[in-house]
Amino acid sequence: MVTGMLKTFRSAIIVVVTAVGLAPAAQAASSEKFDSPALTARLIAAQDGVPQSGRTLSAGLDLQLGDGWKTYWRSPGEVGIPPSVDWTGSKNVSEVEFLWPAPERFTAFGIENFGYHGEVVFPLRIELARQGEAARLQAKVSLLVCSDICVPQDFDLSLDLPAGNEIDQPTADRIAGFLARVPAKGDGIGIEQALVHLDDKTSALTVSLRSATPFKDPDVFPELGAGNALGKPEIRLGDGGRRFWATLPVLSTDDTTLHNPVLTVTDGPDRAFTITPNRAAEAPAPPFSITAVSPGIETLIWIALVAFLGGLILNVMPCVLPVLSIKLSTVIKHGEQDRRTVRAGFLAAAGGALTFMWGLALILFLLQRAGVVVGWGLQFQNPLFLSAMVLLLSVFSANMLGGFEFSLPSGLQTRLANAGRGHGHAADFLTGMFGAVMATPCSAPFLGTAIAFALAGRGIDIFIVFTSLGIGLAVPYLLVAAVPGAVALLPKPGRWMGALKIALGIFLVATVAWLLWVLAGVAGSAAAVTAGGLSLILAVALSVRRLPPLARWPIVATCAGLALITVPRLIEPEATELAASSLHWETFDRAEIARRVSRGEVVFVDVTADWCLTCKANKALVIERDPVLTALRAEGTVPMQADWTRPDESISRYLESFERYGIPFNAVYGPGAPDGIVLSEILSSDAVIDALRSATGNRTTTTGLLDQDW
Amino acid sequence: MTGITRRRIIAVGGVVAIGAGYSFARKFAGHFTPPPEFEPISDPAGFRRVSGGSSSLGANPFAGLDGTSEESSGLPVTEVRDSICTALYGEEPLAPGTVPVASFSDFYCPYCRVQTKELARLEDRMGDKIRVAWHELPLLGEASLLASRAALAAKRQGAYVRFQERLISTPFRANPGYLKALSEEIGISYSRLTADMSSDDVGHDIQVSAALADIFGFVGTPALVIGRTVIQGQVGAATLKRIIELERADGWSQVC
Repeated sequence: MVTGMLKTFRSAIIVVVTAVGLAPAAQAASSEKFDSPALTARLIAAQDGVPQSGRTLSAGLDLQLGDGWKTYWRSPGEVGIPPSVDWTGSKNVSEVEFLWPAPERFTAFGIENFGYHGEVVFPLRIELARQGEAARLQAKVSLLVCSDICVPQDFDLSLDLPAGNEIDQPTADRIAGFLARVPAKGDGIGIEQALVHLDDKTSALTVSLRSATPFKDPDVFPELGAGNALGKPEIRLGDGGRRFWATLPVLSTDDTTLHNPVLTVTDGPDRAFTITPNRAAEAPAPPFSITAVSPGIETLIWIALVAFLGGLILNVMPCVLPVLSIKLSTVIKHGEQDRRTVRAGFLAAAGGALTFMWGLALILFLLQRAGVVVGWGLQFQNPLFLSAMVLLLSVFSANMLGGFEFSLPSGLQTRLANAGRGHGHAADFLTGMFGAVMATPCSAPFLGTAIAFALAGRGIDIFIVFTSLGIGLAVPYLLVAAVPGAVALLPKPGRWMGALKIALGIFLVATVAWLLWVLAGVAGSAAAVTAGGLSLILAVALSVRRLPPLARWPIVATCAGLALITVPRLIEPEATELAASSLHWETFDRAEIARRVSRGEVVFVDVTADWCLTCKANKALVIERDPVLTALRAEGTVPMQADWTRPDESISRYLESFERYGIPFNAVYGPGAPDGIVLSEILSSDAVIDALRSATGNRTTTTGLLDQDW
Repeated sequence: MTGITRRRIIAVGGVVAIGAGYSFARKFAGHFTPPPEFEPISDPAGFRRVSGGSSSLGANPFAGLDGTSEESSGLPVTEVRDSICTALYGEEPLAPGTVPVASFSDFYCPYCRVQTKELARLEDRMGDKIRVAWHELPLLGEASLLASRAALAAKRQGAYVRFQERLISTPFRANPGYLKALSEEIGISYSRLTADMSSDDVGHDIQVSAALADIFGFVGTPALVIGRTVIQGQVGAATLKRIIELERADGWSQVC
C-alpha cells in the first residue's frame, strides 16, 4: 500500500515535469523533448518514416546530460540504477533491442560507478511487426541521474513514423556514431585468447587477454550478475601491450544470480568489446615486466637525491647497528696511523659500500632483464645467503673476542709491506661492503620510492639510484676521509680498547643469533641448528692456537662447505610461524580487505618478516603498545598481517601496487579510506591512530549512543 | 642509541608539525570563505534556502517543477503541515542551543552515502550542538524501499545507527537473506524486524518523510533541512558546519 503511495508521490513530480515538453515535434525523425535541468531526452530515428521494404528500423534514445550530471550503464556498479524502458503502447513494433555504448568509470568517495556523462545515445534496433507500415514508438523511460544529488526521472516519449523513406542524415550519423561505441562482439574483436578465473572463495576475479593489436589505456568492466559487485581493477599490460591482465576484488556475491563472468573491455574511445572468456582452472599469472618509465632529467635528479637521503638514513637504522661496530673498530685501528692512511682507508671503505651497491644494481638489472620481480631485502629470504652471513659473522666475532688475529699469508704481507702502502685497504674495502650488505633489509623512508623507480626503470636509472644510495651510505666514511682530524679526536688507544672490542664482539654474536633466528624462520630449525653448529666449530677451529695449520684449514674448509651445501637442503616446508603476539592477526588476503571494508570494518595491514628489524621496532614501540594496541583490538577493527619472511608473489604484488618494494609496510583501510592510507616506514602512535580514525569515516567508535527518535 | 632515538623523534616531530600546520591552515582558510546568503522560500513559510553558489546549495535546480500536487492524495500532507517541526525533527524536545538537522536519504544513491557519513561524523564531533533526524526517502526502487523499512524497523530495536552504518557501506542490495544475516550479526531479532517492517507504524514514518519531501519540493536525494535552511544535494562538512553555526546564532525556532 505504501509502495503505491510512494509511487504516487514520485509520479506527482513526474507528471508536472513531463507537462513542460509537450510542444509539437519539430522534426519527423525526432520525438518531442523531455526537458529537465538534469537532462534533455528524446527519441530519434535514422529515417523520417518506415520505408516500403523495411523490416527493421534504426532509432535511438538520445540523452543530453546537464553539466555535472551522469546516468548509468546496464551494470551500474556498487550503487545506482540503470535506465529502463517500457515499450508498451508502441504500434507495429514486435521487438526493440536496446544497445549500451561502452561506459566510463566514475569513482567518487570510494564508490565505483559505471555510466555516461555529457551525452549518450542508446541505439535501438526495432523489429517491425508488419513490413512497410507506419509505426509508433511509445517509451516509458525510467532512469536515475546524479550530480551531487540523485534524481530519479520517469517520463514518456513517443515518436510516430509514417510510411516514407527519407533518410535523416545528421540523425543517422549520430546514431551510427554511438552504435560504433557499443562494445563489439564475436570474431572481429581481435582477441586471440581470453581467460578468466574466479577463486574458490569468490573473493577475486583474475582476467587475462591476448590481443592482436596492443592496448593503450584499457579498462575492464566485468559482469557477474545482479547483486555481485567488484572493486577497482588492478591492470597490467605485457608483451608490448598485447597481453592484458587484471585482478579485481569481489565485494559482494549473490549465488542466485551469479553467472559466468562477461567482460566488457574499453581502450580509449575507439575500441570496446564484450567477451565471455573461458574459465581457467588457475588464476592466470600477471605479465612480468612493467612498462618502463623514461623520466625527465629533473625527475632523475630528484630521485637521485631521494636515494642519497635514503642511503644516508640507512646509517642510523637499527639493522645497520651491528655494522657500526665494524666501522668503529676501523676507526680505532687507524687511531695511531697517519692522515694519509686514514684517508685512504676510509675511501676504500666508501668504495666497498659503493661496489656492493653497484653489484646489487647489476644483479637487479640482470634479473629485471630476465623478467624476475625482485623485492628489496629479498636476500634475507635466501637460506644460502643467510648461512653464509652466519659463517662470516661467526668468524668476525671470534676475531673480535680475541680468538685469533686476521693476518694475510706472510708472503703477501711482505709484498704489501714492501710496496709501502695499501696495508689493510682490502680489509677496509670489505668492511665498507659488509656495512652495505647489512643495511639492505631495512628500507628507510625514501628508499622505497627510489628503488621502486629503479626497478620500473631502465638500466641507467638503476645505476643512478644505486650509486646515490651507495654514496649516501658511504657518507660517514667519506666524512672521515675528508676530515681525518675527526679520527684524531678519538681517545688514545689503551686498555679500554680491549674491553670495547669484547663488547663489539658480543654485539656481533647477538647479530649471529638474530640471523640464526631468521634462518629458522625461513628454512626451519634443522637448517638453523646446522648452520649454527658448523659456524661454532669453525670459530673454535680458528681460535684454538695449538691446532696445527694442517688440521685447522681442512676443518675450516669442511665446516664452511658443509654449511653452504647442507643448509639449503634442510629447508622445511612450512617452518615459519609468527612470534607469539598479543594481537589476534588475520592472515593477509587482499580481496578480504575490500570485503571487510564494504562491511564497514577497518583493516590495519602490516607486512612484516622475521628479518626486518625495523618491523620489530615498529611492533615493540607502536603497534603492540597502547594506545594503538587498544585501538586495534576494538570491535570492527581487523589487524591483518602479511608474512614476507618467505618470498610470496601476492604480497610482492600488493606492495608493488603502492610502488613499494620493501618493508616495513603498513596501511589502513576503512569506509572512510577504501583505497587505503599508507603509513610511513617508521610508525608513530599518533599517525596510526589518526589513520584509523580517518579510515573509520563514521561513528563505529560510539555506537549505541546515537540512536535517536525524531 | 640515544642519538638514534633523538633523530627519530626529530623526524617524526617534523612530519607531525607539517601535518598540523596543514590542517591548521585549512581550518584558518575555512574561516575566510564568505558566509552563505539566504533567500526565503514562499512555501512552507519561514524557511529559507541558500541563494547563488553551487547548484547543490542554490535554488532548487528543478525550481518551478515542484510544489505540492493535489495528486499526492495518499500522503498525510495536511497533518504534516500542521506540525511541521515535529514531523521534521521528532517529538523529543530539543535542548536550547541544539540545532536540529533533518536528513533525507536513499540507501542506494551514491551521494546519500557520502552525505550520511559526513553528517554522522559531524554529529559525533559536535556533540549536543546538533541533533540529526534520519528520514528515509526511498526513491530508487524495491531494494531502497526494503532497506528503508528494515532500517526503520531496526530503529524500533534501538539499532538504527548500526543498521544504517552497515547498509550505507555495503554493495549488497538489500534482500531478505541479507537482512537476516545482518540482524543476526548485529544481535537483534529478525522475526521482530520483519514484523515491524510491514507494520503501519513504519509505513507511517515513510509517509511522513514523503509528505515532507513533497512539501519542501525535494526532487531527489540527499536533501537536508538544517534549522530553517533547506538544502538539496550533497554538501561538504565545512558548509554544513557554517550553516549550523549561523542557525544557532540567528535562531531557527520561529518556524515552529
